[in-house]
Amino acid sequence: MATSTKAEQQEEIEQLRARVAQLEQELVDQAARTSRIVAESQERMYWLERWHIDLNTVMQKPGAEEFRALVRALRAVARKAVAIRNKLTRRS
Amino acid sequence: MSSVTAVIPVKDGERYLAELLAALQREGVEEVIVVDSGSTDRSLEIARAAGVEPLEIPAREFGHGRTRNLAAERATGELIWFLTQDATPAVGALAAYRDAFARDQRIGVAYGPHLPRPDTSPMIARELTEFFAGFEGPGGVIAVQGPGDPTFLSNVNACYRRDCWEEVRFRDLPYSEDQAFGRDALSAGWLKAYVPAAAALHAHDYGPLEFMRRYFDEYRGLRVTQGHVERFRPLEVLRWVGSATVADARWMAAQGIGPGERARWTARAAVHHGGRRVFSSLGSRAELLPAPMRRRISLEGRDDGTLSAGDVVLPDAPPQLPPAEHVGPQRQRSDYADFARVLRDGPAALLPPVPGMAGREQLRIAMVVPPWARGSGGHNTLFQLMSRLERRGHVCSVWLADLYGNQGHVWPAVLRGQINEWFAPFDGPAYYGFEHWHGADVVLATGWQTVHPALLLESCRARAYVVNDHESEFFPTSTESRIAEDTYRHGMHCIAASPWLRDVVAESYGASADAFQLGVEHGLYRPLDVPRRRDTVIYYARHSTDRRAVPVGLMALEELHRRRPDTRIVLFGSDEPPETSFPYENLGILTPAQLGTLYNEATVGLCLSLTNFSLMPKEMLACGLPCVELAGVSAESIFGADGPLQLAPLEPVALASAMERLLDDRDEWERRSAQGIDFVASHTWEVATDEVEAGIRHALREREATL
Repeated sequence: MATSTKAEQQEEIEQLRARVAQLEQELVDQAARTSRIVAESQERMYWLERWHIDLNTVMQKPGAEEFRALVRALRAVARKAVAIRNKLTRRS
Repeated sequence: MSSVTAVIPVKDGERYLAELLAALQREGVEEVIVVDSGSTDRSLEIARAAGVEPLEIPAREFGHGRTRNLAAERATGELIWFLTQDATPAVGALAAYRDAFARDQRIGVAYGPHLPRPDTSPMIARELTEFFAGFEGPGGVIAVQGPGDPTFLSNVNACYRRDCWEEVRFRDLPYSEDQAFGRDALSAGWLKAYVPAAAALHAHDYGPLEFMRRYFDEYRGLRVTQGHVERFRPLEVLRWVGSATVADARWMAAQGIGPGERARWTARAAVHHGGRRVFSSLGSRAELLPAPMRRRISLEGRDDGTLSAGDVVLPDAPPQLPPAEHVGPQRQRSDYADFARVLRDGPAALLPPVPGMAGREQLRIAMVVPPWARGSGGHNTLFQLMSRLERRGHVCSVWLADLYGNQGHVWPAVLRGQINEWFAPFDGPAYYGFEHWHGADVVLATGWQTVHPALLLESCRARAYVVNDHESEFFPTSTESRIAEDTYRHGMHCIAASPWLRDVVAESYGASADAFQLGVEHGLYRPLDVPRRRDTVIYYARHSTDRRAVPVGLMALEELHRRRPDTRIVLFGSDEPPETSFPYENLGILTPAQLGTLYNEATVGLCLSLTNFSLMPKEMLACGLPCVELAGVSAESIFGADGPLQLAPLEPVALASAMERLLDDRDEWERRSAQGIDFVASHTWEVATDEVEAGIRHALREREATL
């Protein structure tokens, strides 16, 4: 009986160790994913950070939203013009 | 609860006396002593009506110090509260004093702020408010002042512990007996307390001319008691008057005073401040004026100054200090705040170890590094290792500990870019500081500046210290040298960049330590198809780095030049050529590829290090270039006493002889060259990474052993 209990305990310990190892591996995987995401974003941000440009700060400045709206409007007009030109070109 | 006697010297004080005596009764003073020195108004009558029998003295016997001593001798209270006849205690003032004295038996005297009365001139009201605010403790609490703190004390509203007064007593001075007492009490070892809640309504409000005469008297007293001589420089005075007047105007606006009233008071303020500076200067030089003029200017009509023409200060007055420059806070924290925090609180607790963590295939490794520059040798070592640890599957990150805050302008993405551009490929993230710290299996400190920040990082399983050199030797005896020594004493497992360095940290500091061998980039440093010259000695003359022993190296080359004038001497490693007594060529700072070419072209290399062995001699050897280094430091721990390196003591003639032997003895040169290539062939960054990884796992095993 005592031998059986000891074996059971040993088995439980092994199971717990395996579970800890699994959780540890999950932690490492998660850290690896997070690190990769941060590193990739740093890769993309390189030139903005090199020039000390924080776009969030820039867009909070007075007139930034208006400027963005103007650009969007101009872009819409340009797209429309291109569409009309394409339409006319296709007809002819 | 301490019993209290209030003492009020009076002369023609009917205006506020009744109010004052009523306030004392309200506050619960047990005994009141009024000392009258010849009042001709209703003062005596008011005192008696309040139940106080005045102690009358002749006017000629009055002295600010002596009269207060007289009253104190008659007082029975344990605390003696001195007030002037025009000061009215605010509600709760006495309770606040009692509370202050109960805090510390060493507090001998306490004083409270003077509040402006409703009709007080704005410039006086502002001055009083701002002046007393400067004494408050943080958050407006009681401030206890000791030696080195302000000695200010005012008997307009001050409370004395009887024991302190008995020991110190007031000096017999015509003015400023309170200031002298403040200084004397602190010198005698008593403490002084400023009690914000022990306020009294009080303001000396006079007409413009009366104010000037009053300042004359005050500064006359300050000269006598403290030797203070008010400086008078016309331009400085004008500037001061201007700024004080503007400050008054702003204060009035903040108090909601209307524009008309404000304009009137602003003009008055300009006159007030100008007159103040003129008459305070005159007062502190009163001994230079004829006696009748002194008497006429003095508000109290006094000419009993203790100074006579020609005297400078009283014999017991200390020398006057120069005007102090006020320096406000300029930075948020001290450079060494982390060091102090570790000393005070100890390192942050490590996470409990997990069985088997030392053997896990993938580890989360965070490397804390000091700021770098292009070409930094130590950082090259660190990033070569980090790059390879990352390639082995470990999750690596780099954290910049910017001790002096010089790199804040380099944003994290750029830091990461620099690592890749200047040192080694690195795919992980780089961080500036520890704002985004999220834990790691192992934190690697990598320099003396990084150890204390690393010790404060939480959520770590273990810490290790990659030791590139014995950095405490970089500094003369200083804060830095002591902090650098301290870094080896926090139980971090050391991974040292040579066996010599491992032994230093283990034997001198008791640290557990492993060693790793610096690797060589064999792709760059190898025998090239470059004609080898037979007359060229190259020297790494980086004179900005003291541990490179450049003065000795230059003397050795001077000796070599004396013996062999035709030898070509080439210096590199610094853009500023050193001044020498021999001719040489200077190549400045070279790229790694250019160094490879130089090492293949030269006959002998000279590279000295007074501390840990550097990578450069290995790179020379890898190119087949025999090299001379210092004996008796660290090189023997890697190469042995008679290995591929030619070793010589720190002595110019011996170093010159070692170089000469390699230039003259062809067989010796060939032997060393071949031996060098052979020896460093196994010294790769992969091997170095194996050793560092073993050190990291050693640190984790040490933690596991605590289970």
